[in-house]
Amino acid sequence: MASVLTFACGGKKDADIQKAVQDKLTADGVTGVTATVKDGVATLSGQVADITVKSKAENSAKTVDGVKSVTNNIALKALPTPTPPIVDPALAGKVNENLKKAGCTGATATVENGKVTIKGSVPEAKYVECIRVVNEAGVGSVDNQLQKAK
Amino acid sequence: MSVQEKYQSLLELANQNGTTYSLSEADGVLHVDGNAPSEEAKKQIWDEYNRIDPDFRSGDLVLNIAVNAEGTPAGAGGHTYTVEAGDNLTKIGQKYGITWQQIYEANRDILKDPDKIYPGQELKIPIG
Repeated sequence: MASVLTFACGGKKDADIQKAVQDKLTADGVTGVTATVKDGVATLSGQVADITVKSKAENSAKTVDGVKSVTNNIALKALPTPTPPIVDPALAGKVNENLKKAGCTGATATVENGKVTIKGSVPEAKYVECIRVVNEAGVGSVDNQLQKAK
Repeated sequence: MSVQEKYQSLLELANQNGTTYSLSEADGVLHVDGNAPSEEAKKQIWDEYNRIDPDFRSGDLVLNIAVNAEGTPAGAGGHTYTVEAGDNLTKIGQKYGITWQQIYEANRDILKDPDKIYPGQELKIPIG
């Protein structure tokens, strides 16, 4: 009889914690995640797109009273595909225009199927900016072979 | 390790410094398109990119961060989202890395009830 009673109490408590975890996730803006609690161990499952939501869910669950540990079984779902880059000649034009505007005169860009290859060399102080303006041209991917001029 | 795992600290940093972003991926290349609240916030993200992938050689990230106009108050950042069928505030918030409450607060003028939004409605997206 005593063991049944203990079991019942334990079950109730887990259920309360579980509800508290789920409420906390909702309050923190985490959706698509389900929490189950057994013996104070919260198990998170479900699918999210952004890895930071996965870690945020875990951190949120840890803050709930009664949670001893968290098992994070949240899966990452596939991300949508990016907007396809504009056609190669136009993209090459845009990349070179961005490079020119940023004063990256030593850099040259070629484009094939949305993939931009940057070669040449620019002063070290300009390096990050030159890569940045290429990234902001609406490219599919970047093959960066740009060197820092000595 | 997935590309998202590799750049997780960059995304966490974006969440912390108020940069909103959306993610997409094709052929192992992660695209992060976002809006930073300041040049400084944008620079922090680029510094983190440079730390994770020194000199940006891996070719597995396209980082496209714009800076919201300086002095623009949250909620008027020029970013609007048009509601689609099946959306809810939480879902929209996730796209920008902000909570549904933040969207609700920024749109109190047009939203009476956070559970009632309609396709075609234009919501202001605050800076996170």
